[in-house]
Amino acid sequence: MGAQGKKTAPAGPTRRKVLVTALATAAGVAGARILGLRNLDSTESLTSAMDAADMSMATGMAEPADEYDAMIGVPDDSYVGPQDLDPSYLPPSQPATLPPVDVRPAVMLQPPISGIAAPKLAGDVDWISPLAKESAKVTHLLRRATFGATDTELDRALSEGFARTVERLIETPFVEPPVFPAPAAPRPSASPSLSPRASASARPSASATARPSSLAAATSAPTHMPAASAMATARPSATAAPSMGAAAASASPTVPAVMTNATSINIGNLQGWWLDWMTKSPTPFAERMTLFWHGHFTSDYRKVGTNSPAIYWQNLTWRRMALGDLRSMLLKVTPDLAMLRYLDLAASTGRAPNENYARELLELFTMGVGSYTEDDVKAAAKALAGWRLPMRTEPTAQTGIFDPRRAFAAPVTFLGKTGTFNTESVVDTILANDATAPFMVRQFLTSFVTPSPSDAYVARLADRFRRSRYDTKTLMRDIFTSPEFVAPEMFRALIKSPTDFMVSAAKALGATNLSGTIRQYGSTLGQNMFDPPSVAGWGEGASWISSNTMLQRANFVTAALGTLRTTPSAARAHERHLDSVLAQGTVNELNVARDDKSRWFAVFASPEFQLK
Amino acid sequence: MGATDLSRLSRRDFLKNGFVFGAGAAGLAAGYAAVPDVFARAVYGGKLDGVMNDRVLVMIQLAGGADGLQTVIPLQDPKLRALRPQLSQAANTALPLDASFGLNRSMRGVKALWDQGKVAIVHGVGYPQPNYSHFDSIRIWETGDPLRRQQDGWLGKTIAANYDSAGHPLVGCACGSSEVPGALRDLDATLSVINGQNTFKFNGADAERAMGVIYNGTPGIYGALFDTSVFSARDTMARLRLAREKYTPRAAYNDNVNLVYSSRNQLAAALQLAAQLIISGVGAKILHVTLGGFDTHDQQLARLDSLMGYVDGAISAFHADLAAYGMSDRVLIATWSEFGRRAAETANGGTDHGAAAPMFLIGDTVKGGFYGEAPSLGALDRGGSLKYSVDFRQVYQEILESHLRVDSQEVLGKAFERIPAVRTA
Repeated sequence: MGAQGKKTAPAGPTRRKVLVTALATAAGVAGARILGLRNLDSTESLTSAMDAADMSMATGMAEPADEYDAMIGVPDDSYVGPQDLDPSYLPPSQPATLPPVDVRPAVMLQPPISGIAAPKLAGDVDWISPLAKESAKVTHLLRRATFGATDTELDRALSEGFARTVERLIETPFVEPPVFPAPAAPRPSASPSLSPRASASARPSASATARPSSLAAATSAPTHMPAASAMATARPSATAAPSMGAAAASASPTVPAVMTNATSINIGNLQGWWLDWMTKSPTPFAERMTLFWHGHFTSDYRKVGTNSPAIYWQNLTWRRMALGDLRSMLLKVTPDLAMLRYLDLAASTGRAPNENYARELLELFTMGVGSYTEDDVKAAAKALAGWRLPMRTEPTAQTGIFDPRRAFAAPVTFLGKTGTFNTESVVDTILANDATAPFMVRQFLTSFVTPSPSDAYVARLADRFRRSRYDTKTLMRDIFTSPEFVAPEMFRALIKSPTDFMVSAAKALGATNLSGTIRQYGSTLGQNMFDPPSVAGWGEGASWISSNTMLQRANFVTAALGTLRTTPSAARAHERHLDSVLAQGTVNELNVARDDKSRWFAVFASPEFQLK
Repeated sequence: MGATDLSRLSRRDFLKNGFVFGAGAAGLAAGYAAVPDVFARAVYGGKLDGVMNDRVLVMIQLAGGADGLQTVIPLQDPKLRALRPQLSQAANTALPLDASFGLNRSMRGVKALWDQGKVAIVHGVGYPQPNYSHFDSIRIWETGDPLRRQQDGWLGKTIAANYDSAGHPLVGCACGSSEVPGALRDLDATLSVINGQNTFKFNGADAERAMGVIYNGTPGIYGALFDTSVFSARDTMARLRLAREKYTPRAAYNDNVNLVYSSRNQLAAALQLAAQLIISGVGAKILHVTLGGFDTHDQQLARLDSLMGYVDGAISAFHADLAAYGMSDRVLIATWSEFGRRAAETANGGTDHGAAAPMFLIGDTVKGGFYGEAPSLGALDRGGSLKYSVDFRQVYQEILESHLRVDSQEVLGKAFERIPAVRTA
């Protein structure tokens, strides 16, 4: 789903307009003057208060998938438990030293009713877009293409300008994260996967949740301990992790072992490893792209195997291929170990084809529902059969193994073509289909530009994408340099995902120790890395926002500020991180904030900061 | 667009069109007319009726795949001993329900409710072509769709279709949880997730006040969504405070609770929160709680007995609690698990993932007894699991139609043969 473009050009009164007017009238706010806002249904600004605002933006596999399980498709998937949230942090009060936020107050007060005052709804006013300004374009780009910016990143991009920053983001080779260390000496009793099970009968977890993660105590340990094979190949690694997150580092104080497909990893450490790198990477566009692909070609560690390194390798693949061509990516993702398991292609044979991967390949990964038939799904399932997981005797294999004896030898008819297919020809047939480029482009546009891209916009970029032989780098440059990307109505048109929100807060603070807090709140806010809610990846936009998530977004801010030893000045935070385009409520709170922490709280907890 | 069309607008429509639906509802709940009356009546008329109907459902998830054969234990079948040399010991200590079946020895409280005719046990619940993945099978049970094409949860759909959840955010609530369970998920439904009374709050001394100041008249297409969500959070906190006041003053009852609710039993803590929401009348309709630990690949005999002890203690206390307030005739408790376990035990004295298992329906409105057909230990499926005789959606249907009294086809997509375990008169 997605919200419609903010500015439609209706020929007459639309349903939307009528309703908005009704809402506004009832709420008594029609015509209210609000700072930095414009009328949703008019091209004119409601107010010029913004003019006064300073816009100087200087302004196993897991259990080495034993052959039996792999054959009949019975993953012994297990779960880790929920994480309890940090205890609350109470900010100490400091003397008020901050200068007031220099914007005029406006009239937006609501008489309180019994207990809690209902909010006054703004109804028909929208943010005034600053996107005509170069500096605002730059901050818009950093919010969309990366996770906001540190002070240093912001200053650099502002001095380079929009066009050069686009080129730098796209052309700078992606810096790889530090190697995620394999446990040095895996022993059954030391394996993190075993502890929940050991305590299962002692402490059943109802704190847990109703989602699968609540299986907490239910966790079943891998039946096959990887210890033997992992130890057999263990040797000192030349690549020690230089800037490993504290969590990951402390988990293996000794020299990391070489990771095999039988190595048992700790998923919590892996989540922390990636989140840590999101806040620190010198090429944050790489992490944003990796997160995009993780949500697109998604896999879930619960089914892949809680302790399997496959999900780690998959993450490395997304980063390395992030700006490559779609064909190479599809040929890589199909036999990806995590994907083989997640969508059951490893359990599919020519004799008994499993349609799971074939269906999602067409529906979610390339073409979109409605552009193929059920017969095409069945044909693709046969044509793709033959991949299997590595056996225990193949510990170094990091990808699936094609076994012709498992394949389907006879001809099938797929997307109108009849013949004997293999994975490569299935992929080529998909790429030759007219549905593929528009579907893929729409995925990118809804993630990076607007919840509702126009058909013409999609068609224009799709045409170039296809002619570039599905080159993602070409597409991303086209997206960022398209006029639509910086059109006025794109300002704050997208809602930040929880990861986006939290990482951008950490970067704004210049805090490098927040990956643990981000990981904990990711689960609460609905975006646990490697743990999408479904094969369709994460939801978008409005689905991120609920009473519970707004409460917990605020609590994340409190927890994050609580971890700081020293709090950077917040005097200009609203300029640097909110483009100085502020709602009245935010202005009011900024002006009563007593100290830097309180003002950072107002900045990060504000609706402005939830948007990008 | 006329008023009848408006009545079909959903939150999803509003979001798609750049509007937010919940805003008006929240206003209404607070006695504040944020939307024109005619519009509000069209949309909420029926849904408010639903909230006022006094039926409440509490779903208890036994996560990990709870074994049926050590819960409702066949007493006479010699094949049990052959399949489970160690685990069949449970039959010796079972609490007999009739000549053929006995209850796990830990379930004395449930046995007492059975004796009062308040427990229905549905044998052999499952679905066609069993899926042995926790992940997939949980999704199947959560969405009520064995084909795994649905995204929304069956309880979420029920809430969206029948109740004004935007105005009453506690209509659907996960108690003792930190995330929305899949069964409650639906884009058209507003849900609450309360890990504990004390965690559903703004941390930080000043955060609630600040959020109230900030989220007031937020502009933009998402503005009303933000404002309403924050308002809803604060409103829920206020309702929880109210619930605490209404629930705690009965001192005698509290002593009783302290005796029966063990502080180490987190299922009991979650159910106590559920009881509080129900008893204090803050609008709770569908509550979901979870106990993990059932993935008993080894040492099942002792582990499952222990887990069933938690289940039994929590359910007994919860029922006694509601009964003391005269509300046990309104509340149906149902258990579910993503699958049962393999018929044969493993060398470690555990069991692997299986298929069919029994479900419990407990409450004063239940017609006690056995339903469905107990799976035969002599006719296992290809993988060695028990075959199902009752589709889990038949039980869902009974819960929806006979207890909550809502249209089940809207949620389940079609009608199933009835399992008449709940009294309709």
